[in-house]
Amino acid sequence: MAYGSTIKIPFGPQHPALKEPTNFLFEVDGEVVVDVKPRLGYNHRGVEKAFEYRTYVQNIYLAERICGICSDAHTTNYTQAIEELLDLDVPMRAKYIRVIIAELERIHSHALWVGMAAHEIGFDTLFMYIWRDRETVLDLFEMISGNRIHYAMNTIGGVRRDISEVMVTEIMKGLDFLEKRLEYYTEVVKTDKTISRRTSYIGVLKPEDAVDLCAVGPTLRASGIANDVRMDDPYAVYDEIPFTIVTHESCDVLGRVIVRCEEMLESGKIIRYALKNMPEGEIRVKAPTAVPQGEVVSRVEAPRGELIHYVKSNGTGKPHRYKVRSPTLANIPALCKMLLGGYVADIPIVLAGIDPCFSCMDRMVFVDVRTNEKKIWTMQQLRGKEIRN
Amino acid sequence: MEITSLLNILIFPGIIFLLALAFFYEWVDRKTFARFQNRYGPLHTGIHGVLQPIADFFKLLAKEDITPSASDKLTFLLAPIFYFALPLATMFLVPISSQTSLIAFEGDLIFVIFAFTMMIITVFLAGWSSVNRFSTIGSMRAILQMIGYEIPMVLVMASPAMAAKSLSISRIVEWQSLHLWLVLLQPIGFAILLVCLLAELQVVPFDAPEAETEIVAGWKTEFSGRKLALFQLGRDLKLVLASALITSLYLGGAHSLLLIPPIIIFLAKTALTVVLLSFLRAAFARFRIDQVVSGIWKYLLPLATLQVILIQFGFGR
Repeated sequence: MAYGSTIKIPFGPQHPALKEPTNFLFEVDGEVVVDVKPRLGYNHRGVEKAFEYRTYVQNIYLAERICGICSDAHTTNYTQAIEELLDLDVPMRAKYIRVIIAELERIHSHALWVGMAAHEIGFDTLFMYIWRDRETVLDLFEMISGNRIHYAMNTIGGVRRDISEVMVTEIMKGLDFLEKRLEYYTEVVKTDKTISRRTSYIGVLKPEDAVDLCAVGPTLRASGIANDVRMDDPYAVYDEIPFTIVTHESCDVLGRVIVRCEEMLESGKIIRYALKNMPEGEIRVKAPTAVPQGEVVSRVEAPRGELIHYVKSNGTGKPHRYKVRSPTLANIPALCKMLLGGYVADIPIVLAGIDPCFSCMDRMVFVDVRTNEKKIWTMQQLRGKEIRN
Repeated sequence: MEITSLLNILIFPGIIFLLALAFFYEWVDRKTFARFQNRYGPLHTGIHGVLQPIADFFKLLAKEDITPSASDKLTFLLAPIFYFALPLATMFLVPISSQTSLIAFEGDLIFVIFAFTMMIITVFLAGWSSVNRFSTIGSMRAILQMIGYEIPMVLVMASPAMAAKSLSISRIVEWQSLHLWLVLLQPIGFAILLVCLLAELQVVPFDAPEAETEIVAGWKTEFSGRKLALFQLGRDLKLVLASALITSLYLGGAHSLLLIPPIIIFLAKTALTVVLLSFLRAAFARFRIDQVVSGIWKYLLPLATLQVILIQFGFGR
């Protein structure tokens, strides 16, 4: 391919296809993308640093605000890490409630994404319908926790609110409605000609590439690889609940849509099982405020994929170092691979295909724009610049 | 006599009436599209939001009008005016309140086809003159799309003329009132014209030239204020023109049925067409531009040719 004839097209940080700011530099030959350079960091919020200034209890609420969509995944992960440091035994009922909330969250996150993907390919009718039905999940959240998005259910040592008998019947009712609708949407996605024209053979990620580039979550599973933290490294009570990992062999955007649609149905089954088999008992145990020295890595299967939290404690009331690896960051190399060789018109849907959440992901790197030199500050340098409060 | 024809052109069924109809049909389109998507659509301005398009128009008139410094100033100024004037002028050729149109001559169908092409050229000039990445891509896509749908559209607009043996829209309407509606005689042509007009109106699934998630607003990205208002009004007039053409060429046009005057018949048929167009708009995802062009050349063009051949062999006339 002649590189002399290519044009460089900047994509973002402000672009109609991006809901959050990030930047990609595309090199295109006519309509075909030949090179992609991602440039992240437009939405850095200093969350990890902020963790070091707050007590362990305050950090629960900070962890919740890392992401607006998968807020529960972050708090589950955070509380798990701290509970492991404290060597706390979380009551079974609390673990079941965590699973129920996590799976409800998966339904709401995936439904949101399917709507967004439909919007990207200009299918606004599906977008409106699926977002209307997504309201059911949000209403259930409001009933359980009082909030629609930031449920604040998790706390160190358990959960903050119980799920009563009345709520169980309401959730069952909501699921009856949702499952019927979701089955219909899955059918629509699989059979609709215009959807398949815009999504099949688009953004292809071969299984070997997916593994090499460390893709996670539905992106990886749509390449036919059955990888799921819930199955591989069970947390909460996922080892007691029977479920299957949804995979798809097509390796393209259509596969990613279908995987997410079927995962929503699978989540419905998990919630039903958990509601039926939820034991009676306490929902939380009291946790000490000071955490013993040590470090822990905790993993959770967030709606977007494997989420890793790392905490290092120095024995005081505040963490010494906190690190979050969100699934979007893990999917960026795979995303660049998918975009290569594709059409310019397909960029938005391929980009949306990994369900990006850039503000969760952004980490800091300094770039000198004149010399294009990049450097990353060490902890000591960061400490030197910190605002003392 | 002079006064009556002047009033005809200015008020009914001329400019004022057409503008009111354009606003009304935008409301019909928005409302039905919203209802198909299980939304409410316009609700507050007027009864069931019927005045919303007019409110939007006046709001845009009051907004700041920005001309990019790099743009081709004259073309940038003229494009919205042409985009608005072309469909308005073309509507004079379509019979509305009686079986003959305001201006009728043998060959006015040719003029309508010419006007459709001119509208796309206006779109191209609008995008090109604004010197913006997104506008340029949008206008190129508009031209590419026209290369696709123009030939089948001309063929299926000519096939009613072949049946009626006249190139005048008024004569085609007259012929249908004596015979059957052409939608029954030439169903393939009707379907193709619907699809081509969706492409002409640049709505889903053929809205690649102004695909929101890909290229902002496409060729009209740089337009604002009064110019954008004229574009919106031009689009509404195009919707009226499209529905009026389908009505006149295939649905029997404006002719009186029993005691109902032609204007009522015309309004009912065009409103039905608008609802049909918004239904099609709600039922599809957007095609990529290469899929549009190849799809039209692969399927629509052979079918349109088939329609013409069928007429030659005596079917559908």
